[in-house]
Amino acid sequence: MAELQIVVCVKVVPKPEEIRVDPETHLLERTNARSEINPPDMNAMEMALSMKDRYGGRISLLSMGPPFFEPNLRVALAMGADHIYLLSDPAFAGADTLATTYTLVQGIRKIGDVDVILCGEESSDGATGQVPPGLAEWLNIPQLTLLTDVSIDQTLRTARGRREIKGGYEILEVPLPCVISVKTACNEPRFMDYRLRSWALEKDRLTVWDAGDLDAEPGHIGLTGSPTIVTGLAEAPYRERRREFLQGSPGEVVQELAGILRKEVEV
Amino acid sequence: MVSSLYGIDQERKSIWVYLEVEADGLAGVSLELIAKGRQICNQLGWQLAGLLLGHKLGELAAEGFAYGLDEVWLGDDPLLEYFTIEAYSKAAFEALMAAKPSVFLLGATPNGRDLAGRLAVRLRTGLNADCTDLYMNPRDERLVCEVSGFGGGVLALIEMAQHRPQMATVRPGVFSPGELDRKNVGKIIPISLDLTEDVIKTRTVERSIGEGVDLTRVPVLVAGGRGVDGDFNMLGQLAQLLGGEIGATRPPVDEGHIERERQIGQTGVVSSPKVAICCGISGAFHFVVGIEKADIVIAINSDPEAPIFDYADYCIVGDVHQIVPALIEALSAEREVSIG
Amino acid sequence: MADFEQATDEEVLLIDDELWEQLIELTDGAAALCFQCGVCTAICPWGLVRQKPLSVRTLMRQAQLGLQEKNGSLWLCTTCAQCEAYCPRGVNIVDVFRSLRTVAWENRNPEKGLPSLMWSIFWNDNPWSQPPTQRALWANNLDIPIFNPQEHEVMLYIGCTSSYDQRAQKIASALVHILRGAGVEFGFLGEEEPCCGEAVLSVGHKHYFEEVAAKTAQVFQERGVTQMVTISPHCYDVFRNHYPPFSNGFQPLHYTQYLFNLISEGRLQFMKPLDLQVTFQDPCYLGRINQEYQAPREILKSIPGVELVEMENSAEDALCCGGGGGRMWLETPIGERFSDLRVEQAVQTGADILAAACPFCVACLEDSLKVRKTENFEVRDIAEIAARAL
Repeated sequence: MAELQIVVCVKVVPKPEEIRVDPETHLLERTNARSEINPPDMNAMEMALSMKDRYGGRISLLSMGPPFFEPNLRVALAMGADHIYLLSDPAFAGADTLATTYTLVQGIRKIGDVDVILCGEESSDGATGQVPPGLAEWLNIPQLTLLTDVSIDQTLRTARGRREIKGGYEILEVPLPCVISVKTACNEPRFMDYRLRSWALEKDRLTVWDAGDLDAEPGHIGLTGSPTIVTGLAEAPYRERRREFLQGSPGEVVQELAGILRKEVEV
Repeated sequence: MVSSLYGIDQERKSIWVYLEVEADGLAGVSLELIAKGRQICNQLGWQLAGLLLGHKLGELAAEGFAYGLDEVWLGDDPLLEYFTIEAYSKAAFEALMAAKPSVFLLGATPNGRDLAGRLAVRLRTGLNADCTDLYMNPRDERLVCEVSGFGGGVLALIEMAQHRPQMATVRPGVFSPGELDRKNVGKIIPISLDLTEDVIKTRTVERSIGEGVDLTRVPVLVAGGRGVDGDFNMLGQLAQLLGGEIGATRPPVDEGHIERERQIGQTGVVSSPKVAICCGISGAFHFVVGIEKADIVIAINSDPEAPIFDYADYCIVGDVHQIVPALIEALSAEREVSIG
Repeated sequence: MADFEQATDEEVLLIDDELWEQLIELTDGAAALCFQCGVCTAICPWGLVRQKPLSVRTLMRQAQLGLQEKNGSLWLCTTCAQCEAYCPRGVNIVDVFRSLRTVAWENRNPEKGLPSLMWSIFWNDNPWSQPPTQRALWANNLDIPIFNPQEHEVMLYIGCTSSYDQRAQKIASALVHILRGAGVEFGFLGEEEPCCGEAVLSVGHKHYFEEVAAKTAQVFQERGVTQMVTISPHCYDVFRNHYPPFSNGFQPLHYTQYLFNLISEGRLQFMKPLDLQVTFQDPCYLGRINQEYQAPREILKSIPGVELVEMENSAEDALCCGGGGGRMWLETPIGERFSDLRVEQAVQTGADILAAACPFCVACLEDSLKVRKTENFEVRDIAEIAARAL
């Protein structure tokens, strides 16, 4: 039986509260923002690592982004993965979901013979959650989304997962290879293994592929390959709590509160 | 630049809404999208259609018309009885390619997101996910989608120039559902389907509804602290009215009034509901961490100095044992009126 | 046969030579001194709240032999060092426990919740999962200058808990007022203040602690920090005892020590009488671990009208609040909280106030007081009491 080949898609995102929109250019100002691994991707990492604990295999981290992603990808590597593939090319910049999934899929194809592709539920910056089904579609393979637990049958070559649905759950099974998205906060990501910390910093642990390496069609990548256009960008008003004390008689306060709830929640 | 399978020059002036089916009818988010679609179609003189997939669903089409649809494209097949991504995406794709609508809207539900993500790639078009608002730019008849990113800190407006359909998923609760008018009728258009068993790769091994609670993502969280004096029945009633769940700080859990799975905070659950109602909670830091991500926090406490008020949007100084029952009464009275 | 069955109920432990060597190295052979008398287990405060006490002796034995610990009792230890005070062989037991925890991390067997604690410090530079950019928000209205070694005699190290926990922020504000009242020129590092890493050390992640300490020490060095005052005894302890030497004159003090110095020098005087009976909770990391029992008491005594009364267990025998050793981030079941007992002892003294000198103590004791629903009794940090007397 060949060893299980797992790819985890990992994104490095700026810390949400440190992002600014330049009031004049209306462009995102992220140069001063601290970066972190997209928190939902950490849950995907943990699921991949527990799969590796159970079945053995090899975990490749796949990321599309600029070179500054590298230190944080090495943090994820030190959790117990085997190699990093960073898809990095100025031509990839400005990609929306269609171009992003195309590019990642070119990377997955180049890694080759992948059994399971794991993704976080969504990214904290874009929050689209559309990458996992998009990957599955390009690859024409099944998908299991929002899983909280998964098991693999290597003989039958199937993946079986538990998916939370409204008011309950379902257990689904698909043939391998497949794409799996992992429900945010469904597990506790392990901390880095410090015996791997310096190993993970070695040069050879990371492979960078550009558009040429991926045989990517120029029309499919980056801004060019993206059907959507951002026409406006604004900073949402700072979410400081209102601290508004409802005034009046108890009856009036209750009526006002009921009004607020009716507005915010479908009663 | 890669082209979509059909473009702006081939589009029909219509908006499509994916009609998600739940146990008791059309999903709330589908009704909300019908209402929004109706408004835009009235403004532009376009057609509003629903895409309904399933098995033996005839009456649901009538419900769609009653809420304002002009047409329902109906895919009825035993293989569509339960949602599978393969069968549903195939049926939807064929219908979309036959009708070529300009806009296709889906609810940002687990299945809606799965379907949208697949279809957008199959159609080679763009997809604006988890929109917080939609409107039509009347000048060029382009759909403008507002999306938020970075934990809600940044809002972006996104459009599509050439690619069709203009796809978007919208969070439940962004729009309000419209009025039901049983006199409205429309046209049912059957989708010709060529589904076979072997299309379906996903096997449902087990499905269980009605057990287990995930407080991390409930729409409404009604949390009680020591000030509730163990009366979680009262909070349960309020939660039920609001379609939410109850949670608690540590002391009521310790005292056995409520199970440990419902403890909110640093050593419990970090919840991100739309609304968190904190009843009789003083606001210890280790609790507050568990509700910081709520969109709106309402606090009810008899002590005007309680720290919880610093973390709340709406602050009510008063006895929870009076305020909450009165609130339940006010909310259920309103409900009876709207049902009656 | 019955005996045999009983034996199988116990865990089967395997001797691991490599582990043995590692433990010797991690602890400088500290465990070797132990002759298994069991005083540690007898004195451990877990015995006050649990049927089955934390068997410190057994864990020491396992450390001596290089046995793999399988149950979770290792994570119960609050590192209060009560056992060390009574150990006839002077064994550094807390260090042995931390080393056993180090081994547990390496075996990927930490207590649930602790990996998240590590990640919070890694990404946010604080153990409370709070945004680093909001670290100095509490001080917005206080106009505290950023520390400058040319202008300031001392750097005030706030610490993560006092920066983010609203309750503990009041301690920090009170201290700022006292220092201003005494005319002390001081600054802080504001948003740039790094985490001391005490939580990492106390849950035994030795390697990550070294990384945090090196990074934080470098910040202090770059900022020219030598005289430093901390609010939490936990920060004070790591800076004093566990940081690499990074600057010649570096001298961390707990704020009670610093205030006591100011009083001795005549720079700080309390004018306003308070008319209070106060009892004092010695923080483990100030008292037993750093042998400072005098400074906090002298501050209280120097406030006119304050009468200090001692609890049943005080100074060397002070009962831990339960918040040390990483327990602040783990759930302790009801009925097993040391702070419940401590509040009871404090109320028995007839005092008006239970004074503390550590944000963890304040948090734990106040929680217990809330449950006890006692009227006319409060938990206050010494800084808060002293600020009232200015």
